[in-house]
Amino acid sequence: MDRQETDQSSPVEQPISRRSLLKGVGAGTLAVSAGGLIAACSSGIKGSGGSGSSGTINIGFITPLTGDLAGFASGDQFVLNQIKQSAVYKNGIKIGGKTYKFKINVQDSQSSPTTAAQVAQQLVLSDHVDMVLTTSTPETTNPVAAACQRLKTPCLSTVVPWESWYAGLGGDPLKPTTDFAYCSMFFFGLKEFIGTFSPIWNRIHTDKVVACQYPNDADGNAFRGGFEPLIRAAGYKVVDGGAYTDLSTNFTSMISEFKNKDCQVFSNCPLPPDFNVFWKQAVQQGFKPKIATVAKVLLFPADTVALGPLVNNIATDSWWGPYMPNKSSLTGISASGLANLYQSTTGNQWVQSIGSSYSLFEVAAEALKSVSDPHDHAEVAHALHNVNYTGMCGPLNFAAGPAPGVGIIDPVGVQWKKSSGKYPFEMVVVDNSLNKSVPIGANLEPTNA
Amino acid sequence: MVWVSAIVQGILVGGLFALFACGLSLMFGVMNVINLAHGDLAVIAAYLALGAVTVTHVPAIWSFVIVVPIFAGGGYLLQRTLLQAALNRSVLTTLLVTFGLSVVIENGLQQFFSANSRALNIGNLITESFSIGSQITIAYLDLGILVVAVVVLLGLQFFLSSSRHGRLIRAVADDREAAQIAGVSYRHVFGIAAAIAFGTVALAGIAFGMYQQFDPTIGTDQLLLFAFEAVVVGGLGSLWGTLAGGVLLGVAQQLGAVYNAADQMLAGQLFFLLVLLIRPSGIFGRKETA
Repeated sequence: MDRQETDQSSPVEQPISRRSLLKGVGAGTLAVSAGGLIAACSSGIKGSGGSGSSGTINIGFITPLTGDLAGFASGDQFVLNQIKQSAVYKNGIKIGGKTYKFKINVQDSQSSPTTAAQVAQQLVLSDHVDMVLTTSTPETTNPVAAACQRLKTPCLSTVVPWESWYAGLGGDPLKPTTDFAYCSMFFFGLKEFIGTFSPIWNRIHTDKVVACQYPNDADGNAFRGGFEPLIRAAGYKVVDGGAYTDLSTNFTSMISEFKNKDCQVFSNCPLPPDFNVFWKQAVQQGFKPKIATVAKVLLFPADTVALGPLVNNIATDSWWGPYMPNKSSLTGISASGLANLYQSTTGNQWVQSIGSSYSLFEVAAEALKSVSDPHDHAEVAHALHNVNYTGMCGPLNFAAGPAPGVGIIDPVGVQWKKSSGKYPFEMVVVDNSLNKSVPIGANLEPTNA
Repeated sequence: MVWVSAIVQGILVGGLFALFACGLSLMFGVMNVINLAHGDLAVIAAYLALGAVTVTHVPAIWSFVIVVPIFAGGGYLLQRTLLQAALNRSVLTTLLVTFGLSVVIENGLQQFFSANSRALNIGNLITESFSIGSQITIAYLDLGILVVAVVVLLGLQFFLSSSRHGRLIRAVADDREAAQIAGVSYRHVFGIAAAIAFGTVALAGIAFGMYQQFDPTIGTDQLLLFAFEAVVVGGLGSLWGTLAGGVLLGVAQQLGAVYNAADQMLAGQLFFLLVLLIRPSGIFGRKETA
């Protein structure tokens, strides 16, 4: 029996590895030749010098318009309308004495990493875009960035912790020296999370024991590996509830462990349905942490509907909001102006992702201002790595980030509080330790008194 | 004490699993239809309940009075048209048809209701609970769902074994040709069975909408698998078994979770495989005669 197995396995294994090697080489040549083809095309067009497509800068925008992540993209259509009305994107941009018009090609990732990779490839290979913009969670940005890096097309991502983005490209966030020349991004990372959350914890009198609900997925494991050490460094004790599987239906065992260890601080990064059932069961089982700071959930007003009054005074991070003293670099509209316009146009409460999506197009325009040929992928990618400007998401300096091509937004700590206005709950700034320019909106209150 | 608590919680969550599995068990037991759209149908029921609450302002708890009849009627119609047409071709066709139905439902819901998560608001009841000793806390909602599951499954078992319609359903399920010779319109009987199954799906969907939160895709992502496992563990076609299967699955998961949160799902799946290995026909299933 044993002999048979070994006999079978060795001859099978070899051809597979040989075949996959050949496949890899094939794909490599394909990519190279495709790159060559694009270069040939664009140089051919450049040579012709006339108007036509050469006078158009083609931008691809990949965002999860449908599917589980659609909440992130709920403001993107509005943002696109605003962008298209701005002077730069409406009238075009002047580069080297020539005016280039813009064409924005929007693609839906359907919240699926596979689809995201496919549409990225299609944008680059069939639509010959000059740049790809993408947003909303590693599930969208990572496959897109990886495809762009492989196909040598400039790519700008946002709303993804930089560590997840960097690791997704194959880099080591602990030694961020590798430069992925075609990829850049702006958002924040674990350091900013702890920089927002630990001041909040410090202001509430607790026993300094943090309950951690981190699932067994990309984000959960990143938090377990990267965030727990930061919690300990901030002087807190960690009680890890265990690497549970996403979409569990019952958290009572984890909750009784948190209760028995008297955890008074709560931290997590779950999927929304898991947080919903966890938080309901926590109340049922009498686990009442004095302060709860959540990540990945309750980022948008729509998330609060399902939990209702139970969201009161839960804290989270905010990278954009009407309270930010920021202004558009394209039209000069203020953050609060943009949020109000969103509410009056769509009838929905503002979401913080409109700020980040807006800035994608600002950064793209900033980078294009400094190039001599917008169709030269290497030059545009290099320009994206060196953008340094102030816009809708505040000051962003891509040359000074924790890794090459990473710009950092300084977030603020917010709490969900009952609103007197049209919408039942709203985000109110309670901590501005990282970004002093944002005014405090309300007192920090314990989640459970 | 931790273990006792885990067993109690397992039984409670098992009630939800069993309620879910009930319709699946019935559809399979009577018509041999493996309904892959089962979870999505439950999600529709939750959305319907939400709509009923918004329009009529009845408390969410009572929304079943509106939703269950609608679902039962819809179930009868669907069985007499689409599912019967698929059954006439082959049992495998029903797999494809219900799979297609599942895709259509998910995308349709997404179109209508967006991907945002919703929940049925039952006010303070969601957080109410009582304690036995220092370690065991039981939520009223969970207990309520378990009671509903027990009542529904036992009631159905009683209905099938003692009422005239129940006997017809069993007759058709046992030997369709013989029942037809005796003058039974099996299509109508199938329709009635589907109506009952859909009614229980509606109850399960409403219970889930209160227990957790729902969005268009959660039916297939989360609910379908547990329902299948409960049916298989309990034994195909046995409603008693489905109740036991759901509860045992819940207990297995919770015992795994006490050992380590990472093992919660694993323990459930291992238990499922163990049952398949030792007793492939399920705990309460009839032994294969062939």
